[in-house]
Amino acid sequence: MCVQLNVPQKRLSKDAVKVWLIREAIGNSIWFLILGVTLYLNHLFSWKEWIGWILIGIVILSVPFTVWSFIKPFLLYKNWRYDVDEEFLQLKSGALIEEYQLVPMTKVQAVATTQGPLLRKYGLYSISIETLGSSHGIPALPKEVAIALRNQIAQYAKVKEVE
Amino acid sequence: MAGLKRRYHPLQILFELIKLIKTAAAFAVFLFVIKSGSQSVFITSGRVIFFLIVGASLVFIVLKWFTHKYELDDTSFHLYTGVFTKSKRTIPFSKIQNVKYHASFFHRLLKVTSIRFETGMAEESGTVEFTVVSWEEAAELEAHVTKTLDEERSVDCGTDELERNEQAGNRVIYFTPTKKDTIKASFTSLSFLVLIPVIATLYSNINDVINVEEKAAGIFPYILSSEWIVILVVVIVVIASVVFGIARTFLKYGKYEIAADAERIYITKGMVEITSFSVLKARVQAIEIKQSALKRLLGLAEVKLICAGSFDSEETADTSSLYPFLPVERAYELVAEILPMYQVTPEMARLPKTALPLRLLWPGWFWIVATGALGYFRPAVFGIEQSWWIFSVMMLLFLIVHRLLAFFNARYMLSEQFIQFRTGSLSTNLFVSKRDKVIEVAVTRNVFQRRLGLASIGTINRANPVHHTGVNDIPVEVAVTFLKWYMARRNEIEVE
Repeated sequence: MCVQLNVPQKRLSKDAVKVWLIREAIGNSIWFLILGVTLYLNHLFSWKEWIGWILIGIVILSVPFTVWSFIKPFLLYKNWRYDVDEEFLQLKSGALIEEYQLVPMTKVQAVATTQGPLLRKYGLYSISIETLGSSHGIPALPKEVAIALRNQIAQYAKVKEVE
Repeated sequence: MAGLKRRYHPLQILFELIKLIKTAAAFAVFLFVIKSGSQSVFITSGRVIFFLIVGASLVFIVLKWFTHKYELDDTSFHLYTGVFTKSKRTIPFSKIQNVKYHASFFHRLLKVTSIRFETGMAEESGTVEFTVVSWEEAAELEAHVTKTLDEERSVDCGTDELERNEQAGNRVIYFTPTKKDTIKASFTSLSFLVLIPVIATLYSNINDVINVEEKAAGIFPYILSSEWIVILVVVIVVIASVVFGIARTFLKYGKYEIAADAERIYITKGMVEITSFSVLKARVQAIEIKQSALKRLLGLAEVKLICAGSFDSEETADTSSLYPFLPVERAYELVAEILPMYQVTPEMARLPKTALPLRLLWPGWFWIVATGALGYFRPAVFGIEQSWWIFSVMMLLFLIVHRLLAFFNARYMLSEQFIQFRTGSLSTNLFVSKRDKVIEVAVTRNVFQRRLGLASIGTINRANPVHHTGVNDIPVEVAVTFLKWYMARRNEIEVE
């Protein structure tokens, strides 16, 4: 599919991988902490037997998800592409399920940059784009790129179609 | 009419009162009838609170009528609301997508109606609604809005205004159902089955008050004692339900009218409750031709207009639908007649054969889980021990048939300006839209689709909420053409 189309080429910031890895690490630690506490409580108050089995099942299931959550950032970064021109916002992402979206600039309603503490640590911004139909996001871009892109989209989106 | 702040119709107070009585009735019955003897603190204080709230609501209703005002000028509605906190909303006519009349039984009794101007904004605040207004005034309001709009449009398009007005005046009725159509409709919609729940609720309601079961205990053995009486009762029930079903269909769909002029489509329906809907032809976002399994057998179809403004609530769900029981050919003709800018192409492409194994082999999660559960519990239905795997096999067969049907029913078509999808297994859904009305597109491919050279495509259209459609497992080359096709929408769009 890529050969025949001028697919988007621009990539996210490489630091995105680090941000996602930290985020996953935090998320996973919290999850396992909760599981650990529950297991301990189970042991302490000796709940019904089946509860223990379910807990062990959840722990076993959590392991592959945790492994996957540390592979995912690399795949996500590797496959994320975006581009904007006067007419369209193009977004392409996904390793297992590849998705390619085309959003006309005339349908863009709002565009914003946001930054959480993790993104701030690496000087990154994420961009969210609201359209008539849905909302889209570009997860992690360096500050200058993000702000320039936001302004660029806002500029292009000024043009509206006759309904 | 222009430039003058006006109050709403005084009957609005009456309607609000009725609404208040409706909501308060249940509480009143509970507090004063069911718990009439109760002296508990909870109930007595409940009664005090009840009177306080009802009293406050009464005052509020009157104040609301005095303070809420509206104003029309040449371009917009200005709505003034708020008893204590004042607010003013301005809604330009140019944003209005469609107009809806709805006259309930009470409205008809008092010879008034309600009218809504819908803009397609997600929030209710995007809608201008006159809950009570005389028919003449409603027509005046609509005329004022549409006149302004038409003037704007004719300036935009550069057409001769005179010629345009002449065209606009010719409202032609394209369809009204005959008696035969309505009777057919009542059977297709299985309306004769409606009597059963009606009787059931009636029965349980009566049973609450007087104990029917005890009193009627002697009746059933008496009925069953003679074959003739059984047959008689069955015949009476069947006739009653058919009559009831047909009557209900007549009330709902009997007086249906699809009309159009050069600019707009008008759909009016209902005998007692009247609902009417009008939309600018240019603002129809897409059309859908829907057929349930039964309708397919009988060769009937429903044509639905997808419009940006119409919020599909329970009550008005099928207002934007042209008559739901049209013969298929008539349905296609009607679309061609009233929406000449839309072309429905009957010939469409099938899915490639490579998609079939993918679709059949795709894991059916529900079946897997259900079989797992059945295999674990092994319920012996009717005393048959093997019934767990019989159920599992039956479900699998059903799943396979469903997938085969979905595969053979799926069609797609891309032409210069149009896109068409047909999906569904037992019931089918044909979707037709124009390139400039599609607001977003996406192509997705999972790992297996990539191996087999397949892709799924999807479109988003304006509606409230937005309308997603698409077709899975088309050749990847077509998906590429689809993206290119969409990129070429610059040919059609006009920029402000």
